[in-house]
Amino acid sequence: MRWFRFVALILVATLLQASLLAYWNIKPDLLLILLVFFAVYCNSSEAIISSFTIGFAADIISPAMGPQIISFGLLGTALVYLHRVIAIKKMPYQAIAIFITGILIGILTHWLTLLRAEPAAKNIFFILLWTSLYSALVGPFLFLPAAWWMRIKTKRF
Amino acid sequence: MAKNQTRCSNRMAFTLLLLTGLIFLLSPQNLTNKFQLAFARIFRWPLSIGRNFSLAARTHQPANQMLKRSQMQYQNHIDNLQEQLRQERLKVQKLSGTRERLPLEGANLVVAAVSMAPEGMKKELIINRGSVDGLAVGQFVLGDNSIIAIVSDISSRTARVRLFTDPESKIAVTVGTSNIERIMQGNGDNSAVISMLKNRAKTGTAVFARKKPGFLDAPMIIGKVAQSERNKESPLLWDITIEPACDIEALNDVAVIVMNPDK
Repeated sequence: MRWFRFVALILVATLLQASLLAYWNIKPDLLLILLVFFAVYCNSSEAIISSFTIGFAADIISPAMGPQIISFGLLGTALVYLHRVIAIKKMPYQAIAIFITGILIGILTHWLTLLRAEPAAKNIFFILLWTSLYSALVGPFLFLPAAWWMRIKTKRF
Repeated sequence: MAKNQTRCSNRMAFTLLLLTGLIFLLSPQNLTNKFQLAFARIFRWPLSIGRNFSLAARTHQPANQMLKRSQMQYQNHIDNLQEQLRQERLKVQKLSGTRERLPLEGANLVVAAVSMAPEGMKKELIINRGSVDGLAVGQFVLGDNSIIAIVSDISSRTARVRLFTDPESKIAVTVGTSNIERIMQGNGDNSAVISMLKNRAKTGTAVFARKKPGFLDAPMIIGKVAQSERNKESPLLWDITIEPACDIEALNDVAVIVMNPDK
């Protein structure tokens, strides 16, 4: 893993998510896409660290710190171990993985946010569904430039 | 052996990182907010470029939008002046004889750029002014001549402002020309609600933030009535939905009202 490139990639994705995409109601979650990318293409220890790091980045641009580090970390790690059993090689499988991971992360984040006694929006599940769907549609296509930047060979599996 | 070590280090890394996450989750928000404010301060330049680009892309008819926005600003200004005039008339009627302060007299309007709007359920903005610029928690924030938020958290050079549409926001307001104070609470979407009103409010009626000693010396427009509907539990009473008096998402700059600034 090239950690300097990893940090740069996460930083760019976080800035894009917080600025360029922040004002659209339905948008892809770049950090979710990167979470699945690293869970699929990195070895387990790198993927676990990157999952929590991406969660930290997601928390930095969200109202409260904590819920997303835990949910990204837990679901990212689960995806790493799932990937050992079910190979997520083809684009449709990657899209399904992004969709399901997005939904589960959203639900877990929502629960943890409620645990912190933070307010919840009325249409949270509607936004969650569309964000996950949008991310699933766009995500597999973003894997290629991400793999090029990270110098990861996507055909090694 | 090597496989066992990897598995062990994976478990160790996972446990440590999960503990870090739990520490963040359970830490007081005023501590963890510092990370977010620091991020907004360090990356304010790329964040503002991205924000401007996004807003420009969303604006399909620039001339019409600008005209509409100017009209909104003037309308808010007129509403503010009318309410101030009404208040002044009431004071004259009372003939108290004591000197009253003029609206915003001695106040300093600190113009701040919007650095970031954190994602998620809360309705907040991060602005590029902080305690060194005279900002303090509780101060009112203006956008297009209307109240849009209150400063909720502060660092030296950045501040977090809570929009009145945030579910945690509760602001004392009056509806139209009524002098009865009501509490308006955010809905979490782009609106707020005033519950249990005796009378129905007409759509488009101006809603004013009440004056608050040390923070706001005169009532100022905060929103307009969008709809009135009967309260589900008490059908004799009305719940009214308030929409902002300006397009908050399109704001690039806001102004913070600093009453009695240090000279």
